[in-house]
Amino acid sequence: MTQSNNESPENWLNDYGDILYRFALARVRSEATAEDLVQETLLAGFLAFDKFSGNSTVRTWLVGILKHKIIDHYRKHSREMTLLNDDESANDVLAYQFDQQGNWQVDLVEWGTPDKSMDDEQFWLAFNDCLARLPQRMADLLLLRTVDGLETEECCAVLGFESDNQLWVTLSRTRAKLRQCLETNWFSKE
Amino acid sequence: MYKCKEIIELASKEMDTSLPWITRMEMKLHFLMCKTCSRYARQLQFMNKALGVLGGGGRVHSEDCQLSDDAKQRIAKKMQQAKEAAKQ
Repeated sequence: MTQSNNESPENWLNDYGDILYRFALARVRSEATAEDLVQETLLAGFLAFDKFSGNSTVRTWLVGILKHKIIDHYRKHSREMTLLNDDESANDVLAYQFDQQGNWQVDLVEWGTPDKSMDDEQFWLAFNDCLARLPQRMADLLLLRTVDGLETEECCAVLGFESDNQLWVTLSRTRAKLRQCLETNWFSKE
Repeated sequence: MYKCKEIIELASKEMDTSLPWITRMEMKLHFLMCKTCSRYARQLQFMNKALGVLGGGGRVHSEDCQLSDDAKQRIAKKMQQAKEAAKQ
C-alpha cells in the first residue's frame, strides 16, 4: 500500500484527532486525560512513523497506539486507587439478590436479544451511564478484560491485583453491578 | 451442588478462565433447572457483546463530540516542536 500525501503526520490531528478523542473519552472519564492521550498517541505515532508498515490504515495504526497508551494510563493510576470501597458497594448489590441460603430473592427482567437494544441510541446512553456509575477501578478492570482482551495475569499486573481469584471475584461483582444498573435504568423502562 | 449465588460467580469466571469439565456439567444441569440463573448467564453474554461493540469506539460519544480548539492548538504546537526536534 502506498501512502498518499494526505496521510502525512501534519494532517493526523485534523483527520484522526476527533476519532481518537472519542475513543479515549469512552475509556477515561476526564476530557483533559482524553486530550493528553490523543497528544501522546500522535507524538508516539510521529516518532515511530518509519516503523509503520502500511499493512493497516494509519487510522487503525494510531488507534492501536492509543490502546497501549490507555493501558499505560490504567497502570499508572491503579496504584492510587483502593479496592476496599469498591468491594463494599458491590456487596450491597449481591446481598439483596440472594437469601441467606444463596437462592434468588428477585426475578430478573427478560432483556430480549442484544441486536434490538444495540440499534437503539438511547440504549448506548444508558449503557455508558451505567459504566460511568461503576467504581473507577471496577470499570477499568472490566474494560481491560473484555474490550482490550487482556488475560488474567496481565490484568492483575496492570491493576495491581494480588491473586487471580481476587480478580475473578471482582470481575463477577463488577458484572453484577453493571447488570443491575442496566436492568433498573434500561430494561425495566421498556 | 452449587447454590444460585455460586453459579452466577462461576458463570462470570467462565468468561475469564477455563473451568473443570465437571464444574461446567454442574452448571449446565443447574441452568436446565433454574430459569433465573440461566437468564443471568445470558445477560452476562449480552453485556460482553455490548462491551465488544463499545470497544469499536464510536458508540458512546456521537460525532459532535470533538477535541476543543484549545486542545487542538496545544497538540499541534507539541507536534510542531517534536518535528523540529526530530530535524536537529
